[in-house]
Amino acid sequence: MARQEARAAKLFLIPAFLGLTFITYLPLIAVFALSFFKWTAIMPRPLFVGLSNYIRLFTKDIFFWTSVKVTVQYAVLSVCAGMVYSLSIALLLSRKVPARGFFRAVFYVPYIIPAIAVYTSWALLYNPDFGVFNALLASQGLPRITFLADSRYIIPSLAVIAVWASGNLIVIFLAGLGNVPRVYHEAAEIDGASAWQRFCRITVPCMTPIIFYNLLMSLIANMQVVVPSLIYAGSNRTTYPEYTFMSFLMYRTGFINNDLSYASTISFIFFAVIGLFTLVLFVTSKSWLFYEGGDR
Amino acid sequence: MKKGTKLLSLALVLAMVLSMAAGLAAQAEDRVTITYSMWGDSEEVRVLEETIKKFEDEQDKIHVEVVQIDRADYVGALNTRAAGNNLPDTGIMAEDAVLMWAEQGMLADVSNMYGADEAKPLDSLAFTFNGSPVGYSVSNEVLLTFYDRKAFADAGVASPPASADQAWDWDTFVDVAKQMTLDVNGNNAKSPDFDPNNIKRYGVMFCPDFWQLEVWSVTNGGAWYDAEGNVTINTPEATEALQRIADLSLVHHVAPQYGTNTATTIDQDLVNGNTAMYIQGQWAVGVWLGNAHQSDGLDYGVGVLPYMQDKATLNTGGVNVAFATSQHPTEAMEWLKWYAKEENSWGLIESGIWMPVLSSYYTDEALTHKWVDNPNFPPYDEYKAAVVDYAMNNAQPTSWYWVNNTNLFNDALSTILAPCWSGNAKVADVIAQNIDALKAANQGN
Repeated sequence: MARQEARAAKLFLIPAFLGLTFITYLPLIAVFALSFFKWTAIMPRPLFVGLSNYIRLFTKDIFFWTSVKVTVQYAVLSVCAGMVYSLSIALLLSRKVPARGFFRAVFYVPYIIPAIAVYTSWALLYNPDFGVFNALLASQGLPRITFLADSRYIIPSLAVIAVWASGNLIVIFLAGLGNVPRVYHEAAEIDGASAWQRFCRITVPCMTPIIFYNLLMSLIANMQVVVPSLIYAGSNRTTYPEYTFMSFLMYRTGFINNDLSYASTISFIFFAVIGLFTLVLFVTSKSWLFYEGGDR
Repeated sequence: MKKGTKLLSLALVLAMVLSMAAGLAAQAEDRVTITYSMWGDSEEVRVLEETIKKFEDEQDKIHVEVVQIDRADYVGALNTRAAGNNLPDTGIMAEDAVLMWAEQGMLADVSNMYGADEAKPLDSLAFTFNGSPVGYSVSNEVLLTFYDRKAFADAGVASPPASADQAWDWDTFVDVAKQMTLDVNGNNAKSPDFDPNNIKRYGVMFCPDFWQLEVWSVTNGGAWYDAEGNVTINTPEATEALQRIADLSLVHHVAPQYGTNTATTIDQDLVNGNTAMYIQGQWAVGVWLGNAHQSDGLDYGVGVLPYMQDKATLNTGGVNVAFATSQHPTEAMEWLKWYAKEENSWGLIESGIWMPVLSSYYTDEALTHKWVDNPNFPPYDEYKAAVVDYAMNNAQPTSWYWVNNTNLFNDALSTILAPCWSGNAKVADVIAQNIDALKAANQGN
């Protein structure tokens, strides 16, 4: 019986195994291998160049280090602000407020609006001459700001958009808040704990698996940011260094400028950078992650 | 009827039907099938398929199949097809990718596409690699000054000249732009009370497409490359021109910071009174301004560009190529030659999106009238002087007609220049500091 079950299990795992092998692992190996060649798809055959793509990337590429810097800056800012914002909104929406369903929808909708509409609309709001934010600044006698074309403001401005569109995090936090056992809160209330103490000592510890999940997903998603670059700094446009996110650099190198092998090099380093951040998150999480069942 | 006879009759009928079908198939197979890749939406595909039907009605040797690819992924998709040895026979190609493909031997030499006695496209529209043409632009486009006629009339200021003979020099242009720039209190940029922090209407805006900046270095007697394709952007003429563009915003306050007006288009900016003039390519007539004229009553005019030292504009246009991998190069070129004739793409010319490529439309008055007499165009005399004659006499090809890797170069240059637009660096300084990186980009690194 056990052997039959094992056979069935293996059978059912075949599609997943094939999918992972052919869609994930083999392309990953191919990308790594390609990073040691010079190849555009229109070259007759790849030319082995050893480590020269990596040397070029680390020593000569005028975009690479800027790209790493702005990607990390954007991801850290967006993730931190997004977590605080979405947890705060989820806490508010978990209470019995009037029209709660409506407000939940209002905060979720930005997440499902097509990205092109989101970024185009925000560009109008951010417009240095005719946008609403600058109208407000001007009405207070403050100088205008070119939010999307001034190195000091580009990343914070993009992070605001990312935070605004983090409705998915709110929904997951809401689900997590619904699972915090009420008995803990009731017991703490009887013992005279304040709302803040209950939040810090009960809600947050019980929510750590959810916080960890949102943190991880949000970090990976924000490290892979590319849409604002495509919309605000796409081909043929002035490209402020703050828009050269790693995904954009990889896309532009491979699919606009046709250098697939060098794009593979960027991809592999990019993969390593994300892997490093994820590893740090996993390692540090051991000290603060709390599972109610006691499992880690 | 006996059962055997019935079966025999059935077999005979079946044989007859099969032989007829085979005959029809053989007739269809007489035509050589070639493929043509293009970017465009379903409406453009429909128009193209009608054009192809016309082509197929006129001859019985070639059948053309359309390969539609999204514009954003176009060159990438062709790369993938090349890797799979599955390129189309012919196709439109992004201007900045043509020479890269030619260098890899992927494009056919089209030197012999036109006979000696045939009407050819303008010489400035040929993409050349190693001295041989590898494609001709399927349309012509030049950079121009569009303006809001009413705004100039209301201000009592002379509008941009249509004739290159009367083109404004740079100082005159800046002076006019100052007169046309208004703050929220109605003061123009020449007024001592002008408030540069509260501008209601700019004198001029520039299309944010980065490659168009090259024209200003050209009007200043400079260039981004020499005739051999070597980088010359570090010459004083080239850098001074770019600094002057930055100064329009930083010093004179007559234009928004370069590259920031990406959320709106020329029609919106002219209709909403955000600017009095707008530097953009001729395609604006067909893509935006004709509609704005019809639906919003925009009374727009067109003039030549201002100049610094030389009266010049740039021309460009999407290029049709025959891929070297085609098994049917003769048929591929026959189709491209037919398709390049103005009467076969008249819808796009009539709408104002394309300008004709054949020189006869620029020199034969009757053909020029056929092209320009159009209610969505500015008046004939104005358009003829500012567009037709200007394109004939003052247009120089954009550098991607003869220089490879302009995409890499422009990516690097646009990033290097970014701090200059906000006044945090000077053009000459950043170019000097990064000239090695620019030269490397020019070499494909």
